[in-house]
Amino acid sequence: MLDPITLEVIWRRLISVVDEQAAALIHSSFTTVVREAGDLSAGVFDRSGNMVAQSVTGTPGHINTMANCVRKFIVPQHPIDTLQPGDTLITNDPWEASGHLFDLTIVSPVFYQGRGVAFFASTCHAVDIGGATMGGDARSVHEEGLAIPLMKLFKAGQANQELFDIIRANVRVPDQVIGDIYAQQVGNQVGARKLIEMLDEYNLPDIEEVSASILRRTEAAVRAAIRDLPDGSCRDAIQIDGFDTPLTIACEITVAGDELRVDYAGSSPQVDRGINVVLNYTHAYTTYTLMAALASDIPNNEGAFRPIQVAAPAGSILNCRRPAPVSARHLIGHFVSQPLLTALAQIIPQRVIANGSAGLWNTMIDGVNADGEEFAYIFFSAGGMGAAHDRDGLSATAFPSGIMGVPVEAIETAAPLLMHRRELRIDSGGAGQFRGGLGQVMELEIITGAPATHSCMYDRTKRPALGLQGGRAGSPGKVSLSDGTQPHPKSHYSLQPGQRVILELPGGGGFGDPAQRDPQRVWDDVRAGYVSSEAAARDYGLAP
Amino acid sequence: MPATIILAVDIGGTFTDIVALDKQGARIAVEKLLTSYPDPSAAVIQGLRRLLLREEIPPESVRYVVHGTTLITNTLIERTGAKTALLATAGFRDAIEIGNEGRYDMYDLALQKPQPLAPRHLRFDVPERMLADERVYKPLDEEALRDICRRLRGLEIEAVGICFLHAYTNPTHELLALQIAREELPAAALSASHQVAPGMREYPRASTTIANAYVQPIAEQYLARLERDLQAAGIAAPLNIMLSSGGTTTVAAARSFPIRLVESGPAGGALAGVFWGGLLGQRDVLAFDMGGTTAKAALTRKGELAISNQSEVAHVHRFKRGSGLPLMVPMIELIEIGAGGGSIAKLNALGLPTVGPQSAGSSPGPAAYQLGGKQPTVTDADLLLGYLNPDYFAGGAIQLDADAARTAYADLASALDLPLERMAWGVHKLVNENMAAAARVHAAERGLEIRRYCMVATGGAGPVHACGVANGLGIERIIIPPLAGVGSAFGFLTAPIAFDFTRSYVKRLSDIDLDALNAILQELQRHGTQIVQAAGVASADIRVQLAIDMRYVGQGYEVRVPFPMETLTRAHISSLQAVFESEYRAFYGQLADGVPIEAVNWRVLIRGPQPRIKSPAPPGSGQHEPVAVRPVRFFADAPPVPTPVYRREQLAGGWMAQGPLIIEEAASTTVALPGWSAQLAAGNCLLLRRG
Repeated sequence: MLDPITLEVIWRRLISVVDEQAAALIHSSFTTVVREAGDLSAGVFDRSGNMVAQSVTGTPGHINTMANCVRKFIVPQHPIDTLQPGDTLITNDPWEASGHLFDLTIVSPVFYQGRGVAFFASTCHAVDIGGATMGGDARSVHEEGLAIPLMKLFKAGQANQELFDIIRANVRVPDQVIGDIYAQQVGNQVGARKLIEMLDEYNLPDIEEVSASILRRTEAAVRAAIRDLPDGSCRDAIQIDGFDTPLTIACEITVAGDELRVDYAGSSPQVDRGINVVLNYTHAYTTYTLMAALASDIPNNEGAFRPIQVAAPAGSILNCRRPAPVSARHLIGHFVSQPLLTALAQIIPQRVIANGSAGLWNTMIDGVNADGEEFAYIFFSAGGMGAAHDRDGLSATAFPSGIMGVPVEAIETAAPLLMHRRELRIDSGGAGQFRGGLGQVMELEIITGAPATHSCMYDRTKRPALGLQGGRAGSPGKVSLSDGTQPHPKSHYSLQPGQRVILELPGGGGFGDPAQRDPQRVWDDVRAGYVSSEAAARDYGLAP
Repeated sequence: MPATIILAVDIGGTFTDIVALDKQGARIAVEKLLTSYPDPSAAVIQGLRRLLLREEIPPESVRYVVHGTTLITNTLIERTGAKTALLATAGFRDAIEIGNEGRYDMYDLALQKPQPLAPRHLRFDVPERMLADERVYKPLDEEALRDICRRLRGLEIEAVGICFLHAYTNPTHELLALQIAREELPAAALSASHQVAPGMREYPRASTTIANAYVQPIAEQYLARLERDLQAAGIAAPLNIMLSSGGTTTVAAARSFPIRLVESGPAGGALAGVFWGGLLGQRDVLAFDMGGTTAKAALTRKGELAISNQSEVAHVHRFKRGSGLPLMVPMIELIEIGAGGGSIAKLNALGLPTVGPQSAGSSPGPAAYQLGGKQPTVTDADLLLGYLNPDYFAGGAIQLDADAARTAYADLASALDLPLERMAWGVHKLVNENMAAAARVHAAERGLEIRRYCMVATGGAGPVHACGVANGLGIERIIIPPLAGVGSAFGFLTAPIAFDFTRSYVKRLSDIDLDALNAILQELQRHGTQIVQAAGVASADIRVQLAIDMRYVGQGYEVRVPFPMETLTRAHISSLQAVFESEYRAFYGQLADGVPIEAVNWRVLIRGPQPRIKSPAPPGSGQHEPVAVRPVRFFADAPPVPTPVYRREQLAGGWMAQGPLIIEEAASTTVALPGWSAQLAAGNCLLLRRG
């Protein structure tokens, strides 16, 4: 049996091996979506497909969906002993992998001393997958692009040329898409080489014993964290804007001993727009949110998932059936974090945060520039996060997504847009003993002299982020034009030259009774301009 | 009297190090004393006087003094700088608070971001607007600006940062604002973004500009006092200031751009690594420094320091990337992790042992110091394994107590049901693996094959752990330089006088306006040359280098492309494309054929000659017999091995021996593991080889 020191040393080494895998992948990637936004995950799996270690890069949606995809889908169909050196598997099945066709999951077995000993896998967001472009407009997954059923990308080192040809014929930017597929393959190969060096160095036949120990200890630590919670159930439901009609996300968390079950029964049915979420993606953001709240110091691997069950009614917005459209599933998927946190607040209020903006605001503008060339530009922006029991919420910060925003100077250098202001949105944070984070305000116009199409993907324009324990709601978001009209927050319209769009992003909810807020903090907020003196009088009863 | 002595002074958080070197390399002298607070120049002068007197060096024989300090870094970490206001383009004063909208730790719901140095009530909207293509969209409202300045006077503002959108493409408005602010606020320190950090991206540029203003009054005061005190000590020679980029500059330039002094100590360490590697014919060097709290590593490829324009300072979490204030100034690329002699071992949430980043530092220090530290540290483990000599730690200055170390480890060992020595071995092994992992990933992110590198190991704990870390990295050669106790200060001596400016000029290669670009480059060259000449470099000795950050359109990361500095023509642009493609291929393996290429940042580096330094350390006495043999544990389960112990100052050229062995000196202890050999090589460096 491995002693604790050797186990820890080998585990550290495994984490560094997957970090090297990710570094090699990022390094050879061609696309900003992988390189700058970090929209990828990478990890190592044991012979049975249990995720043992993941790279620290990546987003929750990718990491945990990849773990499930490898263990439950890929390995059962291709047990490691049926594979040979040089094989690599690929799929983008939204239901089995990470929820939309854009994400390619690529898995390679590692052989050592003539025997399969591990898998390396990565999931990356491809810049294009054919079909409709990214957005919620499709009515079925078939309109959303090329589907790649689980198959071999390489057979014994030989590329599956037919598949490469099909991909090449279906996507708009084949060099970039194929380039990133090779980058994923390079990452897996680097991981395999480094793993073999490690096995040599430590004289191990495989990582089975290491995996079993790591998973067992992780599972035990998560079970211990769950056991600290009182037995019983807590539930919450929130409403969000949805595409045309409001959607409900309801959850019930049941703690029984050292196990925890989340059931999303009561959530809205699936819709005929591309915002449906597959169960795997729901599972990913559920386990992410629970780990952040309950066990943020415990590593994320298969062992951590075992004590947690996630269910959602088939045919619901959180467990949609084929062939529902799913392209923009993150617009809804990010919101599962919200009722989970508010439900947990009933039992562990000091370890959660109030609801916040949650969904990224996704702005896309395309048209023709002054030289007659087509342009298209997309950027993501964040509203405010919710407050905690002992601190104010973070302003203009993305949660639960890990994506980052773009500077104004970069936007204006790349696209014919002029930003008139981008500043914190005063009074948008929900009042409370601790105040919600502020949203931001952006005001922009097109400077080509011609109209352009503005595609909106904005939520919480009708239903704000609610506060906790007496804390008030943050301000809802708002999209308006300088002539006073209000475009549909999830559709597109023609933005006219000279007209300005004003985006007011939602604020986060407050925590605790506003009357309990230290008056000095209110005055500081007024002095800084986070809170107006009128709001200070109204919400906190403090006259200037 | 010929001025033949150069002096280097490095003020660290704990110690102030001084090195005096005869230009011929015939003689070197060092002095180390505690850093004085609150006035660090007091210790500098005291140490200098002591050293000059002892070595009988007349003050007028000093040719110049190179100085590096942690003062700027500390001011930012401790938030003890000036009361600073920001003047920003109306509508954009929150850029430094909105930041990149990201979280640096995905699982931390209680995450905190660094507070901006200028709080929101001291950030002001100035009506003006410049466009990305350098056209004026809205002229600067001078009256509005004067009104703001008058309000600043009432607020007793000491420093002002000015950062307008796109000012790096057209600085007219910032220049006008500078002039108005100078008239209205004659006593305030002023910094404008187009001068401090002329690069695209308003968040890091504004952050850098404010930080520069914030530290300026303190830097002014400090440098003025140091100059005065040096004069008083009879040293009239020029004072050159060490920069974070590995060059040195004049006091005047340092006063204008004090933010460029951040992390000059580690820059000195990396320079020293380059020097010692070069002395032994090694140009790909991993400079590895391990002290009491942290380990630092810097990779030098082909003898050139890796310089990055994106760094951070004053982190909320010292070892979490993204938790600091961003800086857009040239700085050596460095990784720092929480692994040092004082790093504390404990059990984590899974019941497994971990080491660091918490550290007992030097106070209370490891348990073996018996200064109040009770927790088990790396130094305690090194002592229990036999690597350290309890009677000769820091040359005998600190007596180590093995019983105290044993007591500190008792709980941990019994919690894991392991023998004490096995536990100590595990902690030693774990901290080595942590350091190797950090270096391995750092190299992988840059596409470098680290096993080909030569390690130069310094710091009190560096030579103790060097072989273990090298084994984990596949590295086969290690240099333990002499003078390791004053490594950064020694590195300062090898720094050329140099200054560089980086300006963003974002254009596709096909769209470059050559006249405009050449005008920008000439302006950068003129400004840099002035600074370098002011530091005493003759025109004939000045070298100018150009480097361009380039990428395929749509990419987020740039590749730095070196290019000769001359007036650029269309033909140059074509060859620039070829150079980019060859660098890109070397870095990424393949090209993105058909995608247009754009240039983003243009860096002009003006430098004087590299100081020539010969092997400075005196050879040993040639007494090559071990001074002792003691039992040392090298493996998890095998018993300790009787191991010969040498004294470094006794070793002379020609000495060579097979490990395992130990070499002691005041500054550190070198452990050559089984499988490694040791020899005394050029420059009195210890050279360890594997196999």
